[in-house]
Amino acid sequence: MKALVLLGCPETPSQTPMAVYASDKLTKLGYDTTIAANPAAAKLVKVSDPEDYYNLNIVDLERTLGEVQAGDYDLLLGFVHKDAAAAFFVTFDQILDTKSIALVFERDLDLVGQFVEMIEESGSKAKICAVRAFHNPSPIKINLDKALKELE
Amino acid sequence: MSFCLDTYLQQSDNYEIHASKAGFKDCAMIIRFKANEVVYVKPGDEVLGVRVIGIPPIPIGIDDEKGTVFIPYTKPCHGTSVVELPIAEEEIDNIRKMNTQ
Repeated sequence: MKALVLLGCPETPSQTPMAVYASDKLTKLGYDTTIAANPAAAKLVKVSDPEDYYNLNIVDLERTLGEVQAGDYDLLLGFVHKDAAAAFFVTFDQILDTKSIALVFERDLDLVGQFVEMIEESGSKAKICAVRAFHNPSPIKINLDKALKELE
Repeated sequence: MSFCLDTYLQQSDNYEIHASKAGFKDCAMIIRFKANEVVYVKPGDEVLGVRVIGIPPIPIGIDDEKGTVFIPYTKPCHGTSVVELPIAEEEIDNIRKMNTQ
């Protein structure tokens, strides 16, 4: 089984620890996990694991977008905390046509609603876990744990 | 060699940006407003050598007289922009063939 974790812009503090957490969780669930990120977000994740303890497989987001095909992954997990992240998630979701989870979070609740709407309007069947969060990763972590439990 | 939007935007200054650092929906509205012909494509469809990013149906605007297209261009940290650039008539016809509506 293969999982793709999609990172957005690295401006939100919760994303980096949650990327490491999600990758570790998915790997323990038996997924061969890949993190797709832009260079800045990728660097933050790489520096977080200096001894390569988590054996993180990080690839370039845009190169992956150019190459990915339907059936390449069994699960898509996306961090959606910006308008562009919602657009990227929907695009990967449509290309891969697989099981998907959208972790939607923002400090502004109106924006959380807006991103959820964008995903729903696309006709996506993704499990959408939305919460107001920014610095504190705990609400996102709780949502992810619940969503992964449903997968088991 | 086929056209590649990323390379074109890096190497040419013959393009116009109608919106930048915007939301996808606003950019889609600008394209529908500015272009006299609109073709709708799916997210992930390859247009001008790149996969288009966005919420379906994604509008690509065409200005036949000027020989230009309006395309949404999304980057993770910079949001979505609307770029108008001149392309060959053959490429415009290829885009028309992708219309989903």
